[in-house]
Amino acid sequence: MDMDMDMDDLYLDNIDEFVNDQNKIVTYKWLSLTLGVHVNTAKQMLYHYLEQKRRESSGTPLHATYLVSGKFVENGSTCHKVSVVREDKLDAVKAKMDVTISVHVYSVQRAELKDSSPLYSTDYDAVKENLKNCSKYSAIRCAAAVPMASVELQKAQEVALVPPVEKEINKPRLNENTSATSKPSTKQPTGIMGMFASKNASKSQESSKEVKTEQKDDSSLVETSKTKPASKANPMSNFFGKPAQKKVDEKPSKSIKEETDGDSAASTTASVKLSQPSPKSEFAIKEERSKVSSALKAESKDTRNKSKRPEVVDSDDEKMDNQQKKRRRIKKPQPDSSDDEVVPDSPPVPTKQIPSPKKQVKREPVSHQESSEVKRRKRRRVLKSHTFVDEDGSFVTEKGYVSESYSESEEEPEPKSQAKDSSSLKQSFGKREEEKKEKSQKKTSASNKSTKQPSIMGFFQKK
Amino acid sequence: MATLTRQDLNFGQVVADILCEFLEVAIHLILYVREVYPSGIFQKRKKYNVPVQMSCHPELNQYIQDTLHCIKPLIEKNEAEKVVVVIMDKEHHPVERFVFEISQPPLLSISSETLLSHVEQLLRAVILKISVCDAVLDTNPPGCTFTVLVHTRETATRNMEKVQVIKDFPWIVADEQEVHMEEAKLIPLKTMTSDILKNSSGGILD
Repeated sequence: MDMDMDMDDLYLDNIDEFVNDQNKIVTYKWLSLTLGVHVNTAKQMLYHYLEQKRRESSGTPLHATYLVSGKFVENGSTCHKVSVVREDKLDAVKAKMDVTISVHVYSVQRAELKDSSPLYSTDYDAVKENLKNCSKYSAIRCAAAVPMASVELQKAQEVALVPPVEKEINKPRLNENTSATSKPSTKQPTGIMGMFASKNASKSQESSKEVKTEQKDDSSLVETSKTKPASKANPMSNFFGKPAQKKVDEKPSKSIKEETDGDSAASTTASVKLSQPSPKSEFAIKEERSKVSSALKAESKDTRNKSKRPEVVDSDDEKMDNQQKKRRRIKKPQPDSSDDEVVPDSPPVPTKQIPSPKKQVKREPVSHQESSEVKRRKRRRVLKSHTFVDEDGSFVTEKGYVSESYSESEEEPEPKSQAKDSSSLKQSFGKREEEKKEKSQKKTSASNKSTKQPSIMGFFQKK
Repeated sequence: MATLTRQDLNFGQVVADILCEFLEVAIHLILYVREVYPSGIFQKRKKYNVPVQMSCHPELNQYIQDTLHCIKPLIEKNEAEKVVVVIMDKEHHPVERFVFEISQPPLLSISSETLLSHVEQLLRAVILKISVCDAVLDTNPPGCTFTVLVHTRETATRNMEKVQVIKDFPWIVADEQEVHMEEAKLIPLKTMTSDILKNSSGGILD
């Protein structure tokens, strides 16, 4: 007994050192991997430490986060909700649950965390080092969960590659486009507040590789989530079709992963691939994608992407790039990064399937991957309707399709119109209306010219 | 992966690129953690495989990018000694400084991929440290602004004044008022040493 007491004190001293001296964030997972103890022991240790320090009520204040899981009724459907909450929100979250199944300390730290990113970072390296046996101390057991032999792994990877290949064949143009040079448009328009208001971040921070990977990963994700790869004749409608289907799939989900802090913590990484998030946690979806895509990054799809890059390189690079980005975004409506409290457009977005083009458009302003300059260029080229829907939903698709055919058939006037539009975009926000008028004028002139329904090849042939 | 040594032309560029990317993330994170700007303009992005908060505001981003664009040549030539992010109150008195000391170890080579992932790991640790720095720092008064100072070796600044790296983005010699802080306490945040660069960061507060 004495030995146990000493050991406990020793561990508590360790925790004290980590928290107070080193100013670390001590999560239960990190503690269990560092000290080599079972996770439940780690949780108890953290709890005891917290109690002890609170009783003493001396020294620096400590902050803690808790993991709460229980049954939660939302919109009439019951689901099992697991969330990491800050201490000050703990009681509120517990009260909201029907049945609270478990509550335990998730982390202890001196700093008051503003978001949950450091929680994930803390565990990241510890888990990475112990990748092979990171579940050694875990309480979750599954006899069937055994790492695959390398042969099986290869086969699984090959299988995973096949469906995306089919997708690519169905939409060769789009893929060609999407795999074009992914130079992010470095010249961001500085004065466009609309971009800022609609949460479009400058893309320069993100590596273009990540985005492309995510697009490819997303196509595989969509595959695995059982959306029909309905290859319609019009490639545009494929964009509409897929995310619309995905939305429908996501609705009847049983488990909602939600973070009261607004961010998903490390605890969700394990179940990301399995659960289908609800539309409410759209932000969680985005973060899911980012995590899944990072996991899938190493796949050879990337190399295929890269090999296609040199094919489409022109003077019109930037526009192509914009279009590619635009298409990529349509294919993958939720961008890789996520979880922003400021999402003005997404809540009102209806999850119906019918106005899917409209939804696509709404999501684009929500997407914070590209500047609106890029977005607008793409819209103009491919889905001109989008700009209009953005401002006034009544215009919707009709205008879009007209202009779309315009972009596919016209060659010479197109670059000029593009150049003109891009220059006007660099002006301030106040001039946005002028741009719209400009575009509408071009559209009317364009629609006069095109009388047939051109194939999308026409667009590319000018290269 | 090919081995690059100091003599190679693009070695300095590689190191400068890594460092400038890191500084960009660090500056955004400092602005977020120290609440210089409202947290609504920040969104989560991914860097070094962990989530970080970056600003969406186009002008702010452009400013930070231009700043680092000008600093990059100094780093390439190993003329930048320190990069300091100063947070100032309404009267332009500094309240906090985040100092990144940069030095390049004499024996340099980028020899393998593991080295870069090692650097990534170290940079991740620095980012984590910035995230928890508010445990040791006091809350800032409202209405703070920030600026970036670069301490250079020798006479590099003279060249910078002569040649504008970016048009309409001039650098000026900092006022003594901005540089000097009364009763400064230094709190080291993190030191990292790797084969390609040494970086220690510390927070200094009033």
